[in-house]
Amino acid sequence: MRTTISEELKMLAGMARDFAAKELVDEREEHDRFPFAPLFEDVLGKAVEVGFFAVMLPEEAGGSAEPVTALCVVLDEVCQADASLGATIFTNALAQEVIGQAGGTDKVVMIACEDGSFRQGLIAFPSYNDPGEVDHCARAARARGGYELSGGVEYVVLGGLVKRALLPAKVEGTEGYSWFLVDLDADGIDASEPVLSLGMHACPAVDLSLSAVPGALVGEEGRGGEYFEAAVDRLSAAAAAMAAGVMKGSFAEALEYSRQREQGGRLIVDWSGLRVMLADMALKAKVADMLVEKAAFAADRGELGWQLASRAAALMVGEMATVATTDGIQALGGYGYMKDYGQEKRFRDAKQIQSLMGITHMRRLQFMQRVMDGEAAW
Amino acid sequence: MFEGMTSSTLLEKHPRLEDVMCSLDSVGKMPRGVSAEIRQAVALARRFNETVARPYALELDREMHEDPAFIPWDLVKEINRWGFYTAWIPKIFGGKGWNLGSLIPVVEEFCSECAGIGNLMGVEYFGMSVLFAGWNTRITDKICRDVVEGERSGEPCLIAGLVTEPGAGTDAEETELLHKAQVRCLARKVDGGYVVNGTKVFISNGHVSTWHISTAFEDLSRPAESMMCFAVRRDAKGFNFGRMEKKMGQKGCPASEIIFEDCFVPDEDVIINGEQIRKLRHSPKETAQQVIDFVVTLTRPGVGAMGAGVARGAFQEALAFARETEVGGKPLINQEWAQCLLAEMYANAALARLTYMECNHVTGLYGMAWMLNWKPLYYYMKAMPPSVLDRVMPFANRLQATQQAFRKLIMDWQKDEDARRASGWASLSKFAATDLGIKNCHLAVEFMGEAGIRHDHRAEKFLRDSKLLQIYEGTNQLNRLNLFKCLVAPAAPEAQVFEE
Ligand SMILES: Cc1cc2nc3c(=O)[nH]c(=O)nc-3n(C[C@H](O)[C@H](O)[C@H](O)COP(=O)(O)OP(=O)(O)OC[C@H]3O[C@@H](n4cnc5c(N)ncnc54)[C@H](O)[C@@H]3O)c2cc1C
Repeated sequence: MRTTISEELKMLAGMARDFAAKELVDEREEHDRFPFAPLFEDVLGKAVEVGFFAVMLPEEAGGSAEPVTALCVVLDEVCQADASLGATIFTNALAQEVIGQAGGTDKVVMIACEDGSFRQGLIAFPSYNDPGEVDHCARAARARGGYELSGGVEYVVLGGLVKRALLPAKVEGTEGYSWFLVDLDADGIDASEPVLSLGMHACPAVDLSLSAVPGALVGEEGRGGEYFEAAVDRLSAAAAAMAAGVMKGSFAEALEYSRQREQGGRLIVDWSGLRVMLADMALKAKVADMLVEKAAFAADRGELGWQLASRAAALMVGEMATVATTDGIQALGGYGYMKDYGQEKRFRDAKQIQSLMGITHMRRLQFMQRVMDGEAAW
Repeated sequence: MFEGMTSSTLLEKHPRLEDVMCSLDSVGKMPRGVSAEIRQAVALARRFNETVARPYALELDREMHEDPAFIPWDLVKEINRWGFYTAWIPKIFGGKGWNLGSLIPVVEEFCSECAGIGNLMGVEYFGMSVLFAGWNTRITDKICRDVVEGERSGEPCLIAGLVTEPGAGTDAEETELLHKAQVRCLARKVDGGYVVNGTKVFISNGHVSTWHISTAFEDLSRPAESMMCFAVRRDAKGFNFGRMEKKMGQKGCPASEIIFEDCFVPDEDVIINGEQIRKLRHSPKETAQQVIDFVVTLTRPGVGAMGAGVARGAFQEALAFARETEVGGKPLINQEWAQCLLAEMYANAALARLTYMECNHVTGLYGMAWMLNWKPLYYYMKAMPPSVLDRVMPFANRLQATQQAFRKLIMDWQKDEDARRASGWASLSKFAATDLGIKNCHLAVEFMGEAGIRHDHRAEKFLRDSKLLQIYEGTNQLNRLNLFKCLVAPAAPEAQVFEE
């Protein structure tokens, strides 16, 4: 992407790369020890300052109103170093996008402006689930002119860290589900300990259980699925960018190592058996880069069928990254399996990125449904 | 074109039937009792899983996340108490003498619950096979009886195998690479023994083992010709534990760095050295490869079984998820795509199992312990009361003549093509079954979505654990090349391996 984007985006990419090099690389292992070590709150604070959490937000909400390509550029660079920060940016952006799709920009404005800290500004969101599929929704009851939420919502990303969450709930007596903004400091909320997960430990999640917690409806009752799907259309390109970034990071480290490590009296990169594996990684990274770029540009220009392009990119790049990062460990042999290098973390992170926004098989089936429904696929 | 050829000539053509269908020959030769033994052993492993491994696996993994220096002594003691550390020690060395064919299915069982715990048990037999491979009956007897005593006393006495060095991983598995390797572990001959200096890395069970069976080199400039093997206790002077690795998975099984600093090894703890190797039929380099092959022929199918184990464990978690989850308002278990996927995962576990079971047949016929499957000896050993053996064997094993007889029988008389077949199949199982293992883990995590990435749903742990299987006991690349060398190259005599 670095070659084809505008000068302005190149600057953004450079900024993200410098930020990653300065704030993420050296402490990657320590940051990843959360919840058994402190969270990198200082890094999150700096990420707020440089605007990573407001890339696509409208200007009146203090954002940069950049296109999705800009978000992809940032995520690609950040995830080459540490996808935990990427997943935090992504989760927040997905929540913002759902609110935006619901026409609730004012709500984002309200949150984003409250103060500069990530606690106040970021929105927790169950970003690994499609509530229309696996029904992890709370129940919403109309009460006192508003709504009260009860029940459980699993794996709410950033739930233990920030003040507000966007949660799915079913309003009694209506079809479908709706989105509600919830104050996580409110009475009646019980949050679990951070859920220990495969990857991206510094972007943690909690299980929430709610009992009559006030919630502000976002958009209209029962239209939550619609908003979510539209947000997924747009942010799938961003998920693909994350996977592409992780893959590039893995390839870079594999190549660097292979050029230094000798076995059998020569550099391992000079054994063609290993070189073919590296070539496959490089090919995947290249194809991923092309797909992300195409999907992001198509979305920004509103090209016919951009929605499916974006979704295709997320599914295909997500899968490629899981394969490439598996090889990324392999290239380093036993050392790749250890925390001393970045490869084992990239392997875990890539696999977790694959599950963003719901089970891949269901996303594939949805894709097919939309092709059959006549959405221009190509 | 086959006209006029006899049946046996036809079957000799590549791929030779004997190379590709070893079970055909093995089944008839296998003692009947073996199948009952496998059933018993697997049942015991399942009981262990239910009472020990399943309830503890996640907690242990979490504990290691929190404190990477934690050493699971209690678990080691528990495995010891269950008798798994002596079960497959032959009776002539004081063990229970279970048939080796039952070890690998037990490894699968363990790993279907937790590959870390599986390795904590199984890698004992890697250490032991390095010990056995030099066919020094005196020292083998001594160390095996220490393990047995450790079981009796409740103070486990484990054995680790030390081969890998910081600069030589793949190289240490293959003499064609070893001769150009940057090995640093030097054994210098002195009066009454050797002084060893050097570092070994990634040693499974290092920190929990009493005996360490290590390779070293008498001449660092000619490692393939000067490999020797010795045993050393953890309390020996000059034997030091370095760091314990911080691994992605299999966290329950420590991987240790071990540093020798002027560590004196008395002659009596030398398993095999240059002087002894020169008395054998093969050249020193060939003997080094033979020793490596003895070990890996037993241990690589073991890692294949670990692949089958994680493949099955991941499948089981996915199946449980499908049964308890509704997707789009319908039970997942009733959705056709999910059924196809689960069938695929079932098949992957089964295919992985088939590879190691075939290896079991191959090693039963051609591995270093083939005699244990020889019917007369099998039944003789079954019938012999341990008390009698324990009175006679420690003396017999100490005799020079016993050792010489074993070395003649097992090392000198081993046919090249038998060695080749056993080693080739071991590699096949190792890489094929572990590739299938990690594949299933990937599928399970993906299939389970949000649940798949959560520690408490286990699939993610299987994935982290499974990745190691493609690395140790020779990377899967090295094992592909070894398969080529052993099973493909004979049909292409012009082929050269590691010479590109
Ligand atoms: C957790 C763990 C536990 C272990 N336990 C033990 C143990 O108990 N005892 C013990 O002795 N060892 C143990 N090992 C070591 C293990 O066997 C080695 O890691 C393995 O052999 C690979 O060596 P390496 O890590 O040095 O990788 P390298 O040999 O450096 O390999 C790096 C990469 O180069 C590739 N490569 C190397 N040579 C070639 C070639 N000729 N052609 C093509 N590709 C090539 C490899 O396939 C790999 O992808 C353990 C390792 C780990 C990670």
